[in-house]
Formats: sequence, structure tokens, C-alpha cells
Amino acid sequence: MSSGTFAVLGLYSEAEKIVDAANQIRPHKLGRLEAYTPYPVHGLDRAIGLEPSRLGRLVMLMGVMGAGLALLFEWWVSAVDYPLVTSGKPLFSWQAFVPVMFEVTVLFATFTAGMAMLFALNKLPFFGHPVLHSKAIKDITRDKLALSIEATSAAFDVEAAHQALIDSGAESVEIVPVPTWDRPLSLVGLLRTIAAIVAACVVAGAGLYAAEKLMPIVPPMIHMEDQPKLNAFRESSFFPDGRGMRPAVAGTVARGHLPPAFATPEEAGTLLSNPLPLIQAIAERGRKVFGDHCAICHGTVGNGVPLLSRAYGGKPGNFLSNEIRARPDGHYFGVLMLGKNAMPSYAADLDNDDRWAAVHYIRILQRAQNAKDEDLP
Amino acid sequence: MSAASVHSSLVRNLLGAMTFIGAAGSAGVYFSVGRERFWVNWLVWTLFLLTLGLGNLFLVALERLVGAHWSVPMRRVPERIASLIPLAIVLLLVAFFGVPVIFPWTYPAAAHNPILVAKTPWLNLPFFAIRLAVCATVWMLFYRFYVRGSLRQDVSKDPVFTVRARRLAPLFMVVFFFSVTILAFDWISGLEPEWYSDMLGVYLFAGTFISGIAAMLVGVLALRRGGRLPEVQAKHVYNLGTLGLAFTVFFAYIGFAQYLLIWYANLPEEVIWFKHRIEGAWQPVALLLPLLNFFIPFFLLIGGLGKKHPATLRIAAFSILLGHFVDLYWLIFPVLGPVPLFGWPELAMACFFLGLGWLQIRRAMGRGADMPVGDPLLVKGLEWQL
Repeated sequence: MSSGTFAVLGLYSEAEKIVDAANQIRPHKLGRLEAYTPYPVHGLDRAIGLEPSRLGRLVMLMGVMGAGLALLFEWWVSAVDYPLVTSGKPLFSWQAFVPVMFEVTVLFATFTAGMAMLFALNKLPFFGHPVLHSKAIKDITRDKLALSIEATSAAFDVEAAHQALIDSGAESVEIVPVPTWDRPLSLVGLLRTIAAIVAACVVAGAGLYAAEKLMPIVPPMIHMEDQPKLNAFRESSFFPDGRGMRPAVAGTVARGHLPPAFATPEEAGTLLSNPLPLIQAIAERGRKVFGDHCAICHGTVGNGVPLLSRAYGGKPGNFLSNEIRARPDGHYFGVLMLGKNAMPSYAADLDNDDRWAAVHYIRILQRAQNAKDEDLP
Repeated sequence: MSAASVHSSLVRNLLGAMTFIGAAGSAGVYFSVGRERFWVNWLVWTLFLLTLGLGNLFLVALERLVGAHWSVPMRRVPERIASLIPLAIVLLLVAFFGVPVIFPWTYPAAAHNPILVAKTPWLNLPFFAIRLAVCATVWMLFYRFYVRGSLRQDVSKDPVFTVRARRLAPLFMVVFFFSVTILAFDWISGLEPEWYSDMLGVYLFAGTFISGIAAMLVGVLALRRGGRLPEVQAKHVYNLGTLGLAFTVFFAYIGFAQYLLIWYANLPEEVIWFKHRIEGAWQPVALLLPLLNFFIPFFLLIGGLGKKHPATLRIAAFSILLGHFVDLYWLIFPVLGPVPLFGWPELAMACFFLGLGWLQIRRAMGRGADMPVGDPLLVKGLEWQL
């Protein structure tokens, strides 16, 4: 490289002239052409031999990737990792995913466009350009247009470049030297930058902490824990008795827990009949209830032989015995509600449908254990 | 007679024959297939021609509004396509006879439907007719102002018209958006009057806009191939392709926004409209919509190469035009039943309307120069750099 020359700079005062000059000089291949203009000039990019940018393809690629990744992530979050049905929609509801996909596409595309333009294609950071230290820079930022031939190889001929610019109609020509500093990005500068960022983070964090801890929260801002709502077992100024929790309204009946209209199982047997149809689903439910609550004492087939240790000593009823088989459905229901002998009431543990399903299942067990020839299919 | 004029009159005769056969077929549809199907077809094709015309008038006014130069050399094309407006208005006036046949709010049973009774202040025949008359008048006035004025300027070279056209453009925009919304509410939502969507007006506008750009692209490319627009360069067409690309996205955005909101809210009276249109036999038609109106043109036009080659531009434009027809078909035809009907009645009526529209544009082609030679902005438009 001819010692110390960054570029040779020619000044023009009209946009047409600089385009013509660039077109004239480009074929000589003296060095890399660059232009500095105070406003955009049509056709100049092609005149200085600038290739069409690769940015578009990069942005497209990243945009498509953003859309794909967003879809993948949403699918994994909503349908695989934490499946949660929202307002009855399918877990994989692509309609709901589209806005996020759109946003992530835009995010990836714009970030790619910005970052790739700045760092990959324009090779920033770039602290100070040699042309900024030229005499011509004042004119360039005002009303003149500059064309520069940059030294790109050792064969760069300053004289030829100078002559070429004059021949092309440059009003003045200036040789811009290579800047005297050799490392614009020094270690000290880098450390200072990092230290400044760390200091800014510390100050901001400490400030936020102090604001949160020391400054009073003034309405309408409130702490999240102070929401104006009723909490269980907390006092409340809303009701006269000062309690947040309210007793249920008198006469309230929980769903599926209609209180019994009978005093004894025998009375229930005369009053009630099983309201549930004997279908597969009910029988399955009865089997579940029986297995969970009855089988532990009455045995899995209902023969009164408990699964518990013999040491228990009680005598659970044998559903297969003729005496118990003869009792009406309502009687079983009544026992489940009121309890009998050592058996506690199951009024709170089961609801009415559970009880009737269990009664169905007991009848099924009784029939299975006393099968006749006619029952064979 | 020169070869060109022989060719031209041959095309005209063929188009005339197509229109005539189409007209005969349409009469057959009316008397033998059914009045509902006839009027529904009529409505689809009338709206197709009307939206092409309005879309191009909108492009003309948009150019005036924003003071664009690049489109000035090509402006005669949208001005000529806008000549579909008077034709389509006549067709829409004829369609008024079909209102009692296909619009449920006119049926006697509507008096017993509380939802429709609540809507009678808007949905009644006199007011409907008034809205139609007002919209048609406004469209005609602006059409005459922009298109006739531009043609007169060819001769008079009067720059005052350019200034006045720009001053009136904002007014046109306001009037245009209101009238297209009314068009969508009256002639499309009105077919299923229990349903409503505020978005439908914008949706129809988006379809109008992109199909307008597509029609303009087809026209510019055809004239350039015929050597009639020698001064319009690839960069002008390139920019038109860019505009088309931008607004395919707009259409997709609006169309999806309407669907997404209704899908999310899941209100029975709103969802039923989409259920009839995206499930069962209508599903393939619904899938065609994003394909033709968005995916094909978007990916053809996104790159620089696609906007430089006439072939890709033409495919994208025809995809959008076909997509616009499918869009109107998908909006309107489901009132006939759960299965998309497409047979000889549709083909016959397509022949009739496309023939009519084409003849109208050919007639307009004869008027004035191929470029707005009187416009003072023309030179700037020709010198415009991408």
C-alpha cells in the first residue's frame, strides 16, 4: 500500500456529475469506489459498483425461521408440556398461535435486518472514519458530493487516482491519509465501557430497590397483596360482624347431596327406588365407588369377607346372603346415608348418584355370584 | 383493413358472441334452474366488476392523494378499468329486483323474527334503495370527475385539473370507505341478516384494493407486451408489484383478523356464519382463499426477481383476481346451501359478465392516449428512479 493513503477524494457539486464520474472511473479498477453525499442520489449505488444487498435473503430466512420456531414453541408449550384447555378450544389451536407467530416473524426479521446491516454488512462498530478528518468533510455535510477511491491493495496508485478524479470533472481533489491511531478500540476503552454498563446496572438496580422499599406506595398504586376482596378467615370491614367469611344461606343444599327424607334404612326401602338406568357407564361408576369405599370391608365380590386383617373383628354384611339380597334398593341407599352397626354414614363422602350407582353394582355382584343356566348367553 | 384491426374486430366479435351466449344461458338459469341461483350469481359477478372498477378508481385517487409520480405514466390503465363502474352500477340497479328473492329480511317471515324486527330501521326497502342511490351517485360523480377530467386534460394540458384532483382526493377517500362499507353490509351481510361483523366492510375494501392492483398489473403488462406503453419501464411495473405485495399482506391480515376474533369469542350467532363457510364441502373453497390471495402472490412477489419478470407478475395478478372471485363466491354462495354449487349456470353467467366487462374496458381503451399526456407530472413520473 502506498504509504499512509486511505483514499483519494474528489468533490463535485452536482448529483449528475458524480454519477457520470463514477461511471467513468469504475472500469479502470483503481480501487474501491465509495461516495459521500448529503442527500440520496439515484443511480449512484449502481455507478460505484455496489452489489445488490444480501440483506433481503437473510431477512427472509430469519423471518421464516421465526415463524417456524414460534409455532414449534407454542405447540410444545400448549399441547405437550403444559396442556391446558382454554375456553373449550383444542390444545393445538393454530388460530390463536398466528398472532404470536406473526410477531416473532417480525421480531426476527427486523432484528436480523438491523443487526446484520450494522454489524455483518457494514462492519460496525467503527469509531471514526478517516474521511471525517478530511478537509472536505465540511463541504460534504453541506452541499458537495464526494467520490473516493479507496486504497485496497499494495498496487494502489495515488497519482493515477488523483488524475482520474480530475479528468472526471472533480472540482477539488484531496488525499486522505490513513488515520494515525492504530487501534481505535483499545483494551482500556473496552474495560471502561464494560465498567460503565455495570455501573449503570448497579445504579438502576439500587434505585429501583430503594424506590420499592423506601418510598410509600400511594393510591391508586397498591400492593398486590392488598386487593379489595374478601379472603377466607380474614377480617373485613364490609360486613357488620367484621368477618370476611359468610355462613351458607339457611336451607342451602349442596349439589348431589339432597338430605334424606327417611329416618331408617327400612323406611328408605319402602320410599325410594333406584333412579339411575342400568347402563355400562353407571355400572363402571358403581364399580369404582364400590372398590373405593365398600370393598375394603365387604370384600371385592361383596361376600362380607374383609380385605382388612382378620384382627379387625367386625362382621360386615354379606351381600350374597339371602337375607340381604331380599332387601329393596332403597334399603341399601338408606344404609349408605345413615350407616348401620359399625358402618359409618357415607352421606358426606358420596353423592346421591354415587350411592345409586354402587347399589346397581351390588346387584350386579349378587347376580354374578348366583348365576343360573338361563343367564348364560 | 390492417392485420391489427382485423384481429381487433375478431376479438370483439368473439367477445360479443361470448356475452350473447352467456346472456342466453343466464336467461335459461333464470327460467329453468331457479331465481335464487340466478340472482346469487348476478350479485357475485356484479360485485366482482364493481369492486374491480372501484379498486382502480381508488388507485387513481390514491395517486392524487399522496402525490405519487411513479404511477402517472400507467394511470390511464386504472382509469380505463374504472369504466366498469357505470356498467356495474347498472347491473347493481338490476340486482335490486333480486332483493326480495335472496335477502331474508324482505321475506314475510322476517316480521316474526325479533332480531330482524330490531334491525328494520336499517334493513328496509326504501332506505336500502336510498343507500344504493346515494352510493351509485357518489361513485358516478367521482368516476366522471377523475376519468373524464383526466381525458380532457389530454387535450387542454390544463395543470389546474391536477391540483383540483388532489384537493378532492381526501374527500373521495372518506366517501369511498363509507360507501364500500355500506356495499358490504347491504349486499353481503344482508344475505344473512342475523349475522354481523364490523370488519366485513374493511375486508371487502381490502379485497377491492388488491384486486384493483391486480387488474391494473394485468392491464399494464398487456399494454406493454402490445408495445402500447413503450415509455413505461420495468421499474414502474416493479413498484406496482411492490404495492401489490404490501396489500396482499393487508388482505391476509384483515381476513384473518375477522376470522380470529369470531373464532376466539365463539358467540353462536357469529360463529355460525363461519361454520357454514369453513366446514364440510366449503372447506376446500375456504382453503383456496389464503392460497390464492396471499401465499401465491406473496411468495412470488417478495423477492426482487419476481417483481421484474412479467410472467411472475402476471401469475400473481391472476392468482389475486381468481382469489377475489373465489372470495365473493365464498361470501355469497353459501346462502344456497351446504355444498358449493358450480356448474353450467355459473359458467354461463360468468361468460355473460366477463364478456360485458371486457367489452366495456375495450370500449374505454379507445378513449384518449395510452398515457395521460396532459398531466404535468408525467415527465417526473417517467424520470422517476426506483
